[in-house]
Amino acid sequence: MDGPVNKKIVDMSGFDRSEYVVSGVRTAVYSIGSGRPVIYLHGGGTFPGFDFVREWARDRRVIVPYHPGFGESDDDPRIDDVSDYIFHYIDLFNQMGLDEVDIVAHSLGAWIAAEYASVQAPRIGRLVLVAPNGVVIPEFPNPDSFKIPKEQLHEYLTADPSVALRYFPDGHDIDFLTLGFRELTAFSRVGWEYPQGNPKLRQRIHLITCPTLLLWGQEDRFFPVGGAKTWQELLPKSELRILPKTGHLVLGENPDAPGIVHEFLTR
Amino acid sequence: MPILSDTKFLVAHYMPYTDLPDECLERDSLWVDIPNAYYDPHKGHALYERYLGEAVLAEELGFDGLCINEHHATPASMMPVPSIIASAIFARTEKLRVCIMGTPPNLENPHRLAEGYAMLDVMSGGRLEVAIPLGTPMEYWVNPVAPATARDRLHESIDIMLKSWETQTGEPKGYDGKFYHYKYLNVWPRPIQQPHPPIFLVGSGSLTTVEMAARLGFGYAATFSPIPKQMKALEIYRQKSVEAGHDPDPSKFPLTAMVYVADTDEQAVEEMTPWADFYFGQLLKSGRFIELPGYIPVDEFRRRDGKFIPESHGVFDWKAIEAVYRVVAGSPETVANQLEKWAEETGSNRIICEVHIGNMPHDKVVSNMTKLAKEVIPILEERRDGAPKVEQSPQSAYLDPPEMMRFRKWTGR
Repeated sequence: MDGPVNKKIVDMSGFDRSEYVVSGVRTAVYSIGSGRPVIYLHGGGTFPGFDFVREWARDRRVIVPYHPGFGESDDDPRIDDVSDYIFHYIDLFNQMGLDEVDIVAHSLGAWIAAEYASVQAPRIGRLVLVAPNGVVIPEFPNPDSFKIPKEQLHEYLTADPSVALRYFPDGHDIDFLTLGFRELTAFSRVGWEYPQGNPKLRQRIHLITCPTLLLWGQEDRFFPVGGAKTWQELLPKSELRILPKTGHLVLGENPDAPGIVHEFLTR
Repeated sequence: MPILSDTKFLVAHYMPYTDLPDECLERDSLWVDIPNAYYDPHKGHALYERYLGEAVLAEELGFDGLCINEHHATPASMMPVPSIIASAIFARTEKLRVCIMGTPPNLENPHRLAEGYAMLDVMSGGRLEVAIPLGTPMEYWVNPVAPATARDRLHESIDIMLKSWETQTGEPKGYDGKFYHYKYLNVWPRPIQQPHPPIFLVGSGSLTTVEMAARLGFGYAATFSPIPKQMKALEIYRQKSVEAGHDPDPSKFPLTAMVYVADTDEQAVEEMTPWADFYFGQLLKSGRFIELPGYIPVDEFRRRDGKFIPESHGVFDWKAIEAVYRVVAGSPETVANQLEKWAEETGSNRIICEVHIGNMPHDKVVSNMTKLAKEVIPILEERRDGAPKVEQSPQSAYLDPPEMMRFRKWTGR
C-alpha cells in the first residue's frame, strides 16, 4: 500500500525513487544529487515536504527515506519503541551499501538520529539535529505534541503561522486527514508513552563522537529552545545555532537554515 | 410478533453528575480536561445515595437486572470504578443482577480485574454479569496505555481473564504474553457462576469484535453505531457463533433502548426532550478528545471520512440520534409497541431500558421505572401469554431512596 502524501506541497520531481524491503517492510527512499551521502530523517509529519534538501544536492547525494508508517513506506506495527528505528536504519543503510554517512534530522527524526548515532557512532561523519526531541529535559518540558489541538497546529509549527498554513488544505481533505492520522499513529507507537523523550538517551548520548550541529528556532513551541543548552552540554563536540523569528519547522520557515546546514556539512 | 418467552427486562443507569454551572456547559468537551473543581463531593454523595436507591427500586419493581457503565474524567458517569458501585448495589439487594458494562481491561491489570469480578460474583451469590469494552477514545487520554496497542492488549487481557477463572487442580500455570507475564496465574476466589459470569463484548460493529465474541461464546452488545450496521453485526454474530459451535441464544445480544413512559405520547416527548438534550448535547460532548491516534485502523479512518463518532455526540438532533440509537418516549401502549417491534427485529429476549436520562429528576425516574414495570411490561407479557399478570404491590416504589432504605431496615428485607 502506498500511504497518502500531501500532494499540495510534496514535490519529488528530480528525485530518484527506490524501494527496499527492511525486515519484511517495504520502505520508500528518495535520492537526489551526487557526492558524499547525506541522509535526511524527517519528523513526525511529512506534510511539509522536503524542498529544502535540494540546496544540499548541489554537491552531495541527499537520501530521504520515509520511516515505516510514514508517507510512502508501509506500516510496521512491530515498531513500538524508538530503538526499533535504530535497527531499521542499520538494516536499510547496510542494504544501500552506505558505510559512513552524514545525517540531518528534524524533530522525531532527530530523536531517531540521536539514538542511531549513539549506537553507530563510527558510521557517522557529521550530524545535524534540527529542533530535536529525545532527551528528557524536566526544566524545559515540551507541551506533548499529541495534546496540541489540530486547529492550533499551524501556530505551533512556525513562528509566523501563515508560513505553516501554506502546508494545509483549504477545506475538508480526507487524504490529508488520513496522512495525518496514519503518521500520528506511527508516531504514537513510540511517542505516546514517552512524549518527553527516552529517559535512557541521556545516559547513552555521550557515545556520539562526531561533530554535531544543533539548529533551533528561537520560537519553537514544540521543543522549547531552553532545552538546547542541555543538548549542547551532553554533546561536547556540538555547536548550537539559534535562529531568530523561527519556529519548529526550522528548515521550511527560515530561508537561511538550509544554507547553514550545508555550510556545516561541507566544513 | 410478541416478545420471546423468558424475556428478561433490565434497566440501565449511567449515574451522571448533573449539577454543572453554565460556564461549564459552554465548554467544547465535558470529558478529559474538565477540571474536577466542578465536582462537588457533597452533591456527589447525595447523588450516589439517590442513584443507589433507584437501583434498589429496580429490584423492588421486579426488574431482572441493572446495567452500569464506566467512564473517566467526565460528569457523564460517576463510575470510574464500577465494581465499587456493583458492590454497593449487591449489598442493598437480594435478587437483582448487575451487569458491569464495563471496565476496559486495558485500564487495569487483567488478573486483578478477574479477581474483582470473581469477588463480586461470590459475594452476590452469582448475580454478576460482565460486558467488556475497548473503552472510548476519551478514556485513553486519561490512562497510561498507548492506544495503538489497545486492541492487541485487549485480546491478551481477555485471554488472561478467562485463564484466571479456570479451576486449577494441579500446580497453577503461568502466562507469557506480549504485554503480561505471570509466574503463576491463580486467582482466588474463583467465580460462583461456572465457568465464569456471563460475558458480553461491547462493539460498534467492527468485524474483529463480532467474530471474537462469536468464537469465545460471549454475548455481543452493540453501542453507538448506525442501526443497520448493528443489525449487520448481529447477523454475522449469529452465523459465526454457529460456525464456532456456540448457541447464539437470544439472550446473548441485548436490545438496548432509551425509554421514557408517561401518560400520553405528547407528555412523554415534552418531558423527555430536555433530559435527552442534556445527555446527547452536553454529557456526550467530547470535543477533540474523540480523536485518538491509533484507536482505529487507518483504512477505517478513511472509510469514516475522518469522523470518529456518529453525529449524535455533542449535538442534540433527534434525527441523527435515531439513526444510531433506539429511543422511545410515549404512553405505555406506544412504548410497548415499539419495544415489541425492536425485540422482533433483533430477536433478542434481553431488553435493556435506559430509564435514567441525562439530568432527569428522581421523581421522574421513579415514575418512569414504575410505569415501565407495571404498565408496559404487563402489556408485552399479556400479548405473549394471553392473560393478564397479577399485579404486585407498588407501595414501596414511590418512597424516596433514603426512606426506602429505612423501610427495608424496619421490615428486615
